[in-house]
Amino acid sequence: MPATTPPPAGGRRAAARPAPSARPALRSGPGRLLVAVYAVFAVSASARALVQIATDFSAAPLAYLLSALAAAVYVVATVALVRSSERSRRVALVSVTVELVGVLAIGVLSVGDPVAFPDETVWSGFGAGYGYVPLVLPVLGLWWLRSQRPRRSA
Amino acid sequence: MSIVLAVWSLVGALRAARPSGGQLLLAAALELAILVQAAVAVVLVLTGTRPISVATFVGYLLTIVVLLPAGVFWGLADRSRWGNGVLAVTAVTTAVLVLRLEQIWNG
Repeated sequence: MPATTPPPAGGRRAAARPAPSARPALRSGPGRLLVAVYAVFAVSASARALVQIATDFSAAPLAYLLSALAAAVYVVATVALVRSSERSRRVALVSVTVELVGVLAIGVLSVGDPVAFPDETVWSGFGAGYGYVPLVLPVLGLWWLRSQRPRRSA
Repeated sequence: MSIVLAVWSLVGALRAARPSGGQLLLAAALELAILVQAAVAVVLVLTGTRPISVATFVGYLLTIVVLLPAGVFWGLADRSRWGNGVLAVTAVTTAVLVLRLEQIWNG
């Protein structure tokens, strides 16, 4: 995909990029931990959605499509956090917000109307099947993105 | 083993220490054990002893083999307490995956 600003190929350090401020990248420090957890969820949610859709899609199409959506959100958030550029920060902000809304909405719906969700998604029951990590993760993500907001003295 | 590594890494993270050589050794031993276990599982699956949901099992198997090296790599690149945090998360996830693999294998 032709991007307007290609990422530095193979560049491991964000410091190579002329940043407006010397703030640490989104993926350093606590962000490193956040990326790790997001990556785990990106992989596990994707795998789960893939298996669900490939093996038994007709059993619960809605739940499985939501699984796929959740997986996509995790993948986007992970990549955005790793890229750690100004634009990807906004992408991360959007995807983490979608994640928070998703886990809250699916949580309420799956508890209130279990019939509509015959099979589990990552976000069912506010992520109870995953130790409620899906509920906590977006909150941490938003906090992290907020604390790393570039402060422009405009 | 992964629980030990998890606790070790967590303690390291709380003490604001960087990941130590001992942790790496333990992680390497753990990965070796996982590889052996995975090889045994693959042989069993190929020779006919297989869980009900082969696709799910293989997916988890691939994940658990790749997870630890990825976590160690990602954690070591950041030589601060957060590197240890990454190791802790990786080790906990590995433990969960082992349990899930057993569940799937036993149906």
